[in-house]
Amino acid sequence: MKIRFPVALYYLKHKVMNKQLHAFLWLFAFLISVGINAQNTKPLINSTLNGTVVDQVSNQPIPGVTVQIKGTTHAAVTDLDGKFYFQTGQIFPYTLVVSYMGYITAEHIATKDFVQISLKEDVKELNEIVIIGYGSTSKKDYTGAAETVAQMSLKATQKTLESSLQGSVAGVNVTQTSGQPGAGMSIRIRGGSSIQGGNEPLYVIDGFPLYNSEVTSGVLSGTPTNPLSTINPSDIESITVLKDASSTAIYGSRGANGVVIITTKKGSNNATTVNYDFTIGQQSVRKKVDVLDAQGFSKLRNAALFDSNPAGGPNQYLTDAQIAQLGKGTDWQDAAFQKGLTQNHQLSVSGGNNQTKYAVSGNYYNQEGIIKNTGFERFSGRVNLNSKISSKARFGLNLTVAETKSKVAPTGLVTALLSMPPTATIYEPDGSYTLRNPFENIFANPIATLNERKNQSITDRILGTVYGEYDILKNLVLKVSFGTDMIFNKEKSFLPSSIYEGSITNGEGKIGNAESRSWLNENTLTYTTVFGEKHHLNALAGYTQQSSTREFNTSGSQQYVNDITSYYSLQSGNVALMPTSGESTWALNSYLTRVNYNYDSKYFLTGSLRADGSSRFGKDNKWGYFPSVAAAWQISNESFFTPVKDVINSLKIRTSWGATGNQEIGEYQSLSTLTSVKYLFGDQIYTGFTPTRISNNNLGWELTNQFDAGVDVGFFNDKLNVTIDVYRKTTKDLLLDVQLPYTTGFTSSLQNFGSVQNQGIEFGLNASLGNTAFSWTSNFNIAFNQNKIIALGNGAEFYTFGNYILKVGQSLGTFYGAVTDGILQTDEVATKGVYTGNATPKAGDRLYKDINGDGAFTTAADRTSIGDAQPDFVFGFSNNFTYRGFELAILVNGSVGNKILNGNLQALELYNGQQNASTSALDAWTPTNPSNTTPRAKLDPAPVFSNRFVEDGSFVRVKNIALSYNLPKKLSEKLSLTSVKFRVIGENLLTWTKYTGYDPEVTNGTTISPGTDTGIYPASKTISGGLIVTF
Amino acid sequence: MKKTLIFSFVALFLISACNSLDEDPKAFISSATFYKTTEDADAAVIAIHNAINSSTHTLYNRLIQISTEMATDDYEAGPRARNAHVRALSNLTHDASNDRMIELWRQSYDGINRANVAIDNISKNPNLNSQKDKDLINEAKFLRAVLYFNIVRWFGDVPLVLHETTVLNSEAINVSNTPEAEVYTQIEKDLIDAEALPVVQQNKGRITSGAAKSILAKVYLTEKKWQKAAEKSKEVIDSKVYDLFENYADVFNVATKNGKEHIFSAQFKGLTNWNGNMLASTAAPTSVPGIAGDQADALHKEGGLFEAFAETDRRKYITFAVEFVSPTDGKTYKVTPHFNKYFDPATPTSPGQSSKNTPIIRFAEVLLIYAEALNEQNSGPTAEAYAAIDRVRTRAGIPLLSETSPALSQDDFREAVFEERRKELVYEYQRWFDLARRGPDYFVAKLKAAGKTNAQPKHVHFPIPQRELDLNPNLKQVPAWRK
Repeated sequence: MKIRFPVALYYLKHKVMNKQLHAFLWLFAFLISVGINAQNTKPLINSTLNGTVVDQVSNQPIPGVTVQIKGTTHAAVTDLDGKFYFQTGQIFPYTLVVSYMGYITAEHIATKDFVQISLKEDVKELNEIVIIGYGSTSKKDYTGAAETVAQMSLKATQKTLESSLQGSVAGVNVTQTSGQPGAGMSIRIRGGSSIQGGNEPLYVIDGFPLYNSEVTSGVLSGTPTNPLSTINPSDIESITVLKDASSTAIYGSRGANGVVIITTKKGSNNATTVNYDFTIGQQSVRKKVDVLDAQGFSKLRNAALFDSNPAGGPNQYLTDAQIAQLGKGTDWQDAAFQKGLTQNHQLSVSGGNNQTKYAVSGNYYNQEGIIKNTGFERFSGRVNLNSKISSKARFGLNLTVAETKSKVAPTGLVTALLSMPPTATIYEPDGSYTLRNPFENIFANPIATLNERKNQSITDRILGTVYGEYDILKNLVLKVSFGTDMIFNKEKSFLPSSIYEGSITNGEGKIGNAESRSWLNENTLTYTTVFGEKHHLNALAGYTQQSSTREFNTSGSQQYVNDITSYYSLQSGNVALMPTSGESTWALNSYLTRVNYNYDSKYFLTGSLRADGSSRFGKDNKWGYFPSVAAAWQISNESFFTPVKDVINSLKIRTSWGATGNQEIGEYQSLSTLTSVKYLFGDQIYTGFTPTRISNNNLGWELTNQFDAGVDVGFFNDKLNVTIDVYRKTTKDLLLDVQLPYTTGFTSSLQNFGSVQNQGIEFGLNASLGNTAFSWTSNFNIAFNQNKIIALGNGAEFYTFGNYILKVGQSLGTFYGAVTDGILQTDEVATKGVYTGNATPKAGDRLYKDINGDGAFTTAADRTSIGDAQPDFVFGFSNNFTYRGFELAILVNGSVGNKILNGNLQALELYNGQQNASTSALDAWTPTNPSNTTPRAKLDPAPVFSNRFVEDGSFVRVKNIALSYNLPKKLSEKLSLTSVKFRVIGENLLTWTKYTGYDPEVTNGTTISPGTDTGIYPASKTISGGLIVTF
Repeated sequence: MKKTLIFSFVALFLISACNSLDEDPKAFISSATFYKTTEDADAAVIAIHNAINSSTHTLYNRLIQISTEMATDDYEAGPRARNAHVRALSNLTHDASNDRMIELWRQSYDGINRANVAIDNISKNPNLNSQKDKDLINEAKFLRAVLYFNIVRWFGDVPLVLHETTVLNSEAINVSNTPEAEVYTQIEKDLIDAEALPVVQQNKGRITSGAAKSILAKVYLTEKKWQKAAEKSKEVIDSKVYDLFENYADVFNVATKNGKEHIFSAQFKGLTNWNGNMLASTAAPTSVPGIAGDQADALHKEGGLFEAFAETDRRKYITFAVEFVSPTDGKTYKVTPHFNKYFDPATPTSPGQSSKNTPIIRFAEVLLIYAEALNEQNSGPTAEAYAAIDRVRTRAGIPLLSETSPALSQDDFREAVFEERRKELVYEYQRWFDLARRGPDYFVAKLKAAGKTNAQPKHVHFPIPQRELDLNPNLKQVPAWRK
């Protein structure tokens, strides 16, 4: 009977087309064919045992502790008073094994009825286990460079899971891309290496690998919702970052940018605990940008008009008397900013017994943005289940379902807030909105936009994995897992006719749907053995397949009679916009293998190989092979080391080399595809098709070779831990849109050319001191990375992209512009006028350096590298103090040496009198104020990008400071609660930086042009407080 | 043992269910599966039309205006022309880094490649041999010829690329300059082939035989092949397919689009999924409430174009507007002369949604080509030459040249034709071509007389974009522009 099942399933496979249904049917069959073994034997009672388990430091009883009779499956769990009770067939003396999460497992020999056992808290327990790709190991046995974010960093409430990583791991640089609630963060592990491919790390969430790219139909204006914002950070148990080749090569063509492994909270074999975590807070804009008020602006406009038309006199806009009567005018930033309320409710239930562990949680998070009518809301739920089916089989389920809603600030809004003249009012005298900037430069009234424009998105996500594990032999484990990740995003936009953007078309409504469905199947065999007593071997072999399909569609209409139905009735618009739709699919098949060997825990050797076949690559180049080797020597386990072991309890040196790849290049890039275009003949539109690119059958992945060497030292019984790593990453076959001459009919072709190198050193230090009453844990990490372009392919020395340059020998993200050289004074017009770049130079114009020495300044010939956005080093410093029931956690992080392109300042220093300007305009050049730094007001300036707008973006900030108080056990017991914790948290409260924009933590996310701050939603600071109650 | 057996079955079973790694795009068509039917061929040719006129700042939707017309005596960068490169062109201070040159070059070669794709793929498919398919090939050749005619006049010795780029080898990338004469030979050849197109097309805007002949006549004129120019333009006149509108305004009115005077025009339609005529918005005033103008194309006053029109010239106040009625308050506002040909009274609040077409060549110009060619061919104006130019003048309501100046010399008649062209074809992408084909001395003299003192002899050509020279070592810069 059991043999016939596979045959029946074989039939099913060919009839049932749906892959997912087939997969789950298989798993179901597997479970049945294994059989559930439930053995129950009747106990023979020979003795009884009563006992209590207490905390060694506080002497408080600990509930939920597992007490097991060693060598048997007989276990009991302590109750609320820490008491346990056995009736057993064992005869005294026998050994008890006492274990509880967060405490060091103890063994106690029971000799009589009644026993009291003390357990010692183990702060480092979580740090000891390292979750690596396709398995886990202890840190002591690990040969690669990986770090787990300690539980203490995760304890503070974080808005998104990426922010938990800020300042916590050496070599991991996390930058906010936008202050928009729900926006993503950009993570660089050991420097960015891809120019055009994706640079974000691979995320593995409970075993499901995914690359975090936006799922959007394009209807939304502004920053699309970050899909990772659907994952509730409070569900996370630990985050492990894999940095070197040995650890990431197991992820093959996706490991080049590092891997972030996220493990969510599972249950435990303890009594059920119920946890309620409530936080409420307020956020406000961290810093405003200084701009002119109404009087300053009016004087500037007068000056600009006078400069372009001297005959009209110095008061062509307002007379001096009128200016004196003006107040401050409209402060557009104040009108838009608000104090946003944030709240987070997290309810979780977890527990289990020896057979089954579960953790269920529900979360509601609401963040009002610091700009009116923007915000982010999340509802999420999770079920994690792990169960033993029999002594040899286990299965597990991790499932999360979430919905997020965002109201997004449209593109250009922040720029409008800064540029809108203070003499303009939000409303006209008749009560309607001022439509736009009243002067020649057209942009919409930003407050009208915020109040009336609808720009929203709703995302639903289902992410789940289910696995089964079976011990084929004692040391051979088969694990099969299936996973799915489905993201549904709906975007809605409405421009009412009452605001400028909608007035041109009498209203415009649009709806877009985008969805992404992925499925995953992983099958691995793991073999662990010890032979000859000292030889430990762990081998892994596996096959995985993953595939993902995206689709989107949009529809919209214009010319509405009124704004009442908004986007809910597109058919009410008179003019239909062309609907659009699209689809793309990718697939990945992989074989992987890894062998870990160690001799006597002294000499370690690891080797791995992964073969990836990806649909994204050209048809002649689908498969790639990614090997790695690593070796380590635990010197402290050598016999000659024993004399020093009191001081240095652990010393390990390790090295690794490996190859990983990056396949984030988009789909169908190797094919010559046609795109549709239109033309009008007479009165009708016709469709044509034209090729978009030349095919490239050799298109392949980017290959990164990484070499790493490190040392891990533990002092004073791990009270102090130091880790140092040096690495060099060389990425070649970079995917680059190699520029083609236009005579080919195309602008560029995606080729594998070019190479980039990252090398650096990382340093991490962990220390913990403490006694009963007071403890202090500290973590310091700092990383230096040097990024350099080695080659650009096709013999090119450099490419310029707008204000950036990619040049061999320099780093990615290098700014390219003119160099300022003072201001042209009245007596210098004849001699120095050629250095202004103006056909008719005039005193008060800005002077620029003549870089190529041809005797004049032109933007074409006189630009040079003027700084880069790469930091010299990035650091994090966190400290945790506990004193009796109080706990204080402070996280300081910083980035030094990176520059920022202050795009907002470029707009604010046009001084053209048609839009607002920065307060530096008060010092504008005039004949009576011959400034040598600030040019004159000019109605029609030709903007030149220069080093004036490249600022030092270094910063140090107190990212997080949290003070909490645990209610003493006696008090909490009176309330029938296990524990109550109050806390107050401050985020972004203190920042030291020279940057004059909204916030120095800014990037616009692309690797070629990072560090640009133009119109980005400003950063906020938050104060919140709350309590955590455990039942 | 049984269990191990089961699991090996199951494991094999799983591995057999793998993903296919072949890409099968559903939203895109791949070249390998296209160009099989006449509909496919038609789509390929429609794509060429799209290359020369689609969204804003494409060739016949304003790009030629800001890239070339700005550098003449009649046009200048208006107050809203903020692009420093456009202002440089207006001042004749431009160089090889100018971004408008890049656009002219890139869009032209994009269109040429689309034409090559169509011609190659239709020709090599033996099933596509109906008359319609042959017409499509000829339509592609016509458009390719128009594009080459433009760039050979702008840049001189341009690379002649006649086949689509399928492989990126050195041959495809490192093309060399082709001497002007050879490029003209190919242009003539393509237009002669295109003369086989139908005389009338059902879809207005598609290429007709008359369009091929008219452009060919212009090509001959530019090459100074006077006899051929005269013969070809006479063919168009004698075919009686085309005629002048009695009312000059009808040349531009939406109701009379693609009418009897129109031979080949850029097609526009606002407030739809197609584009409005951008020249309407960039000529519209900014100071009139309710008209959201964006005046970037301004009249260069010192050139004297407005004053050159007599008050009785019916073209004057259709070509220019000196006052506008505000749609919001109904008042009339006086303005300096603004170009007015494409302003659509149906969409005053958003002038850019104008549905007026821009003529690329029309019958009035064919008459003037005829007049000029005859004058040059016969070393002096003939009666037919006078008759041709007078047809244009009659329609304009100004005195006949044969009455006011009946015995003009060859040089004077030539000047008269040029002045007539100047007034008849304002804002139709013509002025720079007319100035440049007279030669560097004439060009510089005219611009300096209009106050544009930066004009130099090299300005009868534009510099090949530096980017192209950097990427292709075989390509050489226009000789006058080399340092």
